[in-house]
Amino acid sequence: MPPRVAVKNLKKGGGLFEGVKSNIEALIVGIKYFVDPKRMTLLYPKEYPEHRPGYRGFIVLKKDVCISCAACARVCPSAAMKMVRVTEADPREPGKARQKQYPVINYQRCIFCGYCVDVCPVEALYHLPFHDITYESLADMFLTLEAFQKEPLRPVEKEGSPVVYEFDESAGLVKREKKGGA
Amino acid sequence: MSISEGTIGELRAKGVEVKRLEREYYEIFIGPQHPGSGHMRIIVRLDGDIIVDADPDIGYVHRTMEKLSEGREWIKVTPLVERMTIIDACNVTLPYINAVEKLMDKRPSTRASYLRVLLCEINRIASHLYGFGIFGVFLGHSTAYMWGFGDREVFLELAEILTGTRLTYTYHIPGGVRRDMPQDFPQMARRAVRYMRNRMAEYEKIFLNNPVIVSRLRDVGVISKTRAAELGIVGPTLRGSGVRYDVRLNEPYEVYSELDFEVPVFEEGDALARTLVRMEEIKQSLNIIEQAVDWLEKHRDEPVIAKEDYEKLPKLHKELYEKTGRVKLLPTQISMKVPPGKAVARAEAGRGEIFYYVESDGGVMPYRVRVVTPSARNVIVFKKVVPGHRLMDLPAIYGSIDYFPPEADR
Repeated sequence: MPPRVAVKNLKKGGGLFEGVKSNIEALIVGIKYFVDPKRMTLLYPKEYPEHRPGYRGFIVLKKDVCISCAACARVCPSAAMKMVRVTEADPREPGKARQKQYPVINYQRCIFCGYCVDVCPVEALYHLPFHDITYESLADMFLTLEAFQKEPLRPVEKEGSPVVYEFDESAGLVKREKKGGA
Repeated sequence: MSISEGTIGELRAKGVEVKRLEREYYEIFIGPQHPGSGHMRIIVRLDGDIIVDADPDIGYVHRTMEKLSEGREWIKVTPLVERMTIIDACNVTLPYINAVEKLMDKRPSTRASYLRVLLCEINRIASHLYGFGIFGVFLGHSTAYMWGFGDREVFLELAEILTGTRLTYTYHIPGGVRRDMPQDFPQMARRAVRYMRNRMAEYEKIFLNNPVIVSRLRDVGVISKTRAAELGIVGPTLRGSGVRYDVRLNEPYEVYSELDFEVPVFEEGDALARTLVRMEEIKQSLNIIEQAVDWLEKHRDEPVIAKEDYEKLPKLHKELYEKTGRVKLLPTQISMKVPPGKAVARAEAGRGEIFYYVESDGGVMPYRVRVVTPSARNVIVFKKVVPGHRLMDLPAIYGSIDYFPPEADR
């Protein structure tokens, strides 16, 4: 059946009885949740959310796989990714040096759209499933080539326990301790 | 110093609006730093408690999106324009992609269309619940605020599982979408839908039928059918006034014509009717989510991008798609050239019709991107409908039209 218009009408303003009845109904719902609250609040950092593998979080470079095609730097909509030229030992000709370009990222600009990860023809970039890292200074957010290859430590993993959200028919989202711990 | 009557007459003849300054009127500036104003200012002039003049002062979050679009490649415009309505990012980027597809003469696969519709409806619910929460706290009903924002989280979680992020999805690419739905997504979506359906009854009891709320909304900010058409307002605000207009119905895009859903219309045109249109729309969006998920579960063989594009993908990309459901972009797509021409596209976003005009000169970047957003068209309600009401009705009208300043300012 195709989409169609459904004209509806407001309920007429009821009299005293109707008013009292709806007031009591509202109170009953309020009391129900006062007695049996359904909370989904995350007690961060005692608990932290464990996202699914597809989550678009921090980005890490696999330098050995990178072919220096610069597609990631070209696709970046906020110009957060730039290529740097490095001189390194050539693995194919021992004893000789070669020049190669690798991407570095500036997390001051990154919007986590994931275009760079999707455009990489050799899967040299990948997402980590989390977002919550702080830096001491703005300059630290401009990652060097070395820092871009390391998976950053998530500070909250030290003090908190992982939590996953599950869908539930009576409570919407239910917070559950992740089995197996951190 | 005063201006003579003659000068005033001359100015009026030129079409300049000249108003005499009335000393007994009290002028208050609501915003831009007022907690209830949003990123805007409403200059309200009061006679006692009655508003005689309301002037929405917009433009505080103008980011020149139309101009910025001209300086970036086609696929990079999506992450830009979704930032104008970050809570409704799927709906506001869809017509841009549709317009580009029209220029490229490309059609998305049916599976991609269903995925787009699925995310659009999840987003519409999240957007309505956001508006509902803000509306609740405008009226001093902080329970509605907590409930709206809490239940919005359910749908943001669904969107996160589908796209990998909570708000800025960047989900559409010309010819399809960037990710397929995970295997266990349908069960989760169905659970969320069943939860929200039961929850709607409680929303009605605690908020919509609550006599305190009803008395603040009934017969407040009435916009008649003719007046609504005259002002050119769109979306739930228009349908609350009895005009039967919804882009999904009048000019179906994607697969909306194949889906079974209702477009709720209320005839009364007051703040209560506008609120109820949103609530009824949430119910209909839940129906659409169920239908879309059912269809997607049955038809798994089709790729989520156009068939001819899928065949061109390298072997590694195809393997990855089979394994993870992620569609890799090709480096050629960064500097893809769109044939010269002009295209328009529209979609029904959470707050109403959003319209794009896209022009290409055959280059790697758009020549012109024009956006007309629903909030930009609804802002006139402040000027034309608010005067005559009491000051305490202003938050009720503001909340009921669900005005979102960043969307209007672009």
